[in-house]
Amino acid sequence: MSTFRRLRAIPVSYRVPILVALLMVAISGVISERVLDRLSRTQESFIDGLAGSYLDGLTAAVLPAVLRGDVWEVFDALDRSQKSYQALSPVEAVVTGADGKVLAATDPTRIPSFSELPDAYASRYGARTVTFDREADTGFAYRDLVYQGQKVGAIHTAFDASHIFAERREILATLLVTNGVLAAIFSLGGFLLVRRMIAPMRVLEDHMRAAANGVAEPISSREFPSRGGEVASLFNGYNALVHAERERANLAMQLAEEEKLASLGRLASGMAHEINNPLGGLFNAIDTLKTHGRTPGVRDTSISLIERGLNGIREVVEAALATYRPERSARPLSADDLEDVRVLMKPELRRRRQRLDWQVDWPAGLAATIPGGPVRQAVLNLLLNASAATPEAGEIGLKVERTAHQLKISVSDEGPGMPRDSIAMLSDDDPGPAVRAGRGLGLWMVRRMVDACGGKAIVETGPSGGSVVTLILPIPEEARNERSHAA
Amino acid sequence: MTARYPATSQVLDRRSALALCGSAVVSLALSPGRASAQEGFKFGLTPVFLSNDLELLARLRAYLTEAIGEPVELVSRRTYQEITALLVAGQLHAAWICGYPYVQFKSELDLVATPSWHGKPLYQSYLIAAADRPTERWENLKGDIHAFSDPDSNSGFLVTRALLAENGLKPEGFFARTFYTYGHRNVIRAVASGLAQSGSVDGYVWDVMREMEPDLVTQTRIVRRSEWLGFPPVAAPKALAGDPRIARLKDALTEMDRREEGRKVLALLRLDGFVATEPALFDSIAAKVDAVRRFG
Repeated sequence: MSTFRRLRAIPVSYRVPILVALLMVAISGVISERVLDRLSRTQESFIDGLAGSYLDGLTAAVLPAVLRGDVWEVFDALDRSQKSYQALSPVEAVVTGADGKVLAATDPTRIPSFSELPDAYASRYGARTVTFDREADTGFAYRDLVYQGQKVGAIHTAFDASHIFAERREILATLLVTNGVLAAIFSLGGFLLVRRMIAPMRVLEDHMRAAANGVAEPISSREFPSRGGEVASLFNGYNALVHAERERANLAMQLAEEEKLASLGRLASGMAHEINNPLGGLFNAIDTLKTHGRTPGVRDTSISLIERGLNGIREVVEAALATYRPERSARPLSADDLEDVRVLMKPELRRRRQRLDWQVDWPAGLAATIPGGPVRQAVLNLLLNASAATPEAGEIGLKVERTAHQLKISVSDEGPGMPRDSIAMLSDDDPGPAVRAGRGLGLWMVRRMVDACGGKAIVETGPSGGSVVTLILPIPEEARNERSHAA
Repeated sequence: MTARYPATSQVLDRRSALALCGSAVVSLALSPGRASAQEGFKFGLTPVFLSNDLELLARLRAYLTEAIGEPVELVSRRTYQEITALLVAGQLHAAWICGYPYVQFKSELDLVATPSWHGKPLYQSYLIAAADRPTERWENLKGDIHAFSDPDSNSGFLVTRALLAENGLKPEGFFARTFYTYGHRNVIRAVASGLAQSGSVDGYVWDVMREMEPDLVTQTRIVRRSEWLGFPPVAAPKALAGDPRIARLKDALTEMDRREEGRKVLALLRLDGFVATEPALFDSIAAKVDAVRRFG
């Protein structure tokens, strides 16, 4: 199983050539086996035929001499036959008489005439005409000498079969080398072919991997295969996907920007109001100064009035700047950001005669590496939503608890409860359907911030009705370490 | 023979028909070797040695043809006995036979000439064994498988048989086994190959072959040399004593060393020449026959 898995782990561009090579090896093995089998059968029947004619000739030559028991004639026939059957390479021939004793052998010093034939000779023959002893590289053949239906003797012969086995070995070696070279060529060819075939898939894979990491790039035209076909249509499909995704992202950014502008508009009107409120007083104070400026008491009072009015305006302007100046949004979240939010909310609250229950527990000396801009924007969005949901003269609340591990932000309202889509957008695992419904872009931005921080959002019903939206944002490990170092 | 069938005979009665048939049968039976003027001069050769040397046979035939003045046919057979029988039966005009058959059929044969070897019409019989066998005494050959040349050969059988007889022995008792090779060269091959442990061989053949086929002959060594005996002679049936061709053959043989073509034949045979000899030359062989016969 693990071997199988390991095999599957090998890239296709290597796996397929390996399989092709293995297939070639298997095929060459089978072919070699068949060829050798066929060869050995051909050789054996050839040798059988040769040995048969050799034995026929020998029988004709020795039979009359065997009948007479003529040792010399038998020997002479054997001796001459050894020289005239070179193709068979006979190494030994022994002729026995009717009594089973040796009449003559080609090597009489080894097998003397009139002696008993050694037992080994009787047991060395198989079913075929020629029996091979591969270890000794020798073939054996046997023939009864029959005259008028009577067995009058026998011929025992041995041949040198080394050239047969040598030929077989040579052919085996040739087969192995040829098939090995072929297998290597086919493997290499398979490797290159498969690589060429799956190269477009690798291009697609690389692009998809890059897309998964956030950078979805369309496949450039020079990576397209020269000829069209399936791969080209696949690439076109991918590129269309990338373009659609880009358009969607652009649209989302545009929408976010518009939402920002929309909330800015609301805030701006509030801010204008906030600025306008002291303006009347300021103009009064200036008129007073014009008229009674020489009176020290009046002058001081008027200047103080103008100063306070201008300070109020400056606060509002600074808060707005902090929120909408991009370079400032990358800073870590601080208590000042929350104060800015409070300032920004003030005009809206006043307009709707609502109160804000402000409970911020932000221990001094605790740094937070949570990005300030998005969180501030998210809190502002939630508070604006809460304000919109709460009836006039109602109360909304912000509760911030900062511990060592997490930042917990709760926004409560006195509204009729959040719509299901909004709840889904904030707290579902997949906010996609709710987003596609096109509802609550502000909430979607909150959700994006929460996901980016690796936190979560919970929507509950408050104790006095209304909704409580709680954001729990973990504080990264390194930030805590920095803090402990700082301490 | 030529007048047996009168061409003028008009009527064939029963008797003459029978006679014709009978003579035809006889004629057919004897025809293969029947000596006749029409078929040329038939000269028999025992397989003394080199019977397969075609060059020798061709030169000898050419020489004899020229000397006798009519075509000569050289007749060879496997055994001495066949040649001897053909000769005695008159189917050969002459034959180079062995001293032993000559002694046996002395009454029916005339000596034509006897080869001379090393200046004498004599040769020896050798008892040979394998070269690596350290045997100096013939008695040590007891229990051997022994190769004889031919049962009608003097040097290849009779001499050894007589030696044993003189010592109160018989081949079948002294040797474990014996066999005939029907050729002196074959005896040497049998001993050299180990088929036989010892053999009886013509000393002339052994000596000549030591020059011609040293690789074969040096595998054997001589254990015993016999006394000098009459060299195998050329003989003719007594019945042809008056035939002029026999006289021409005798001249051709005895003059061989003086003629160019003859000397070439002698060189191939490694002989000095042929000499006319008396039958007494073969008395020692006759004595051996007697010894064997006495012992039984």
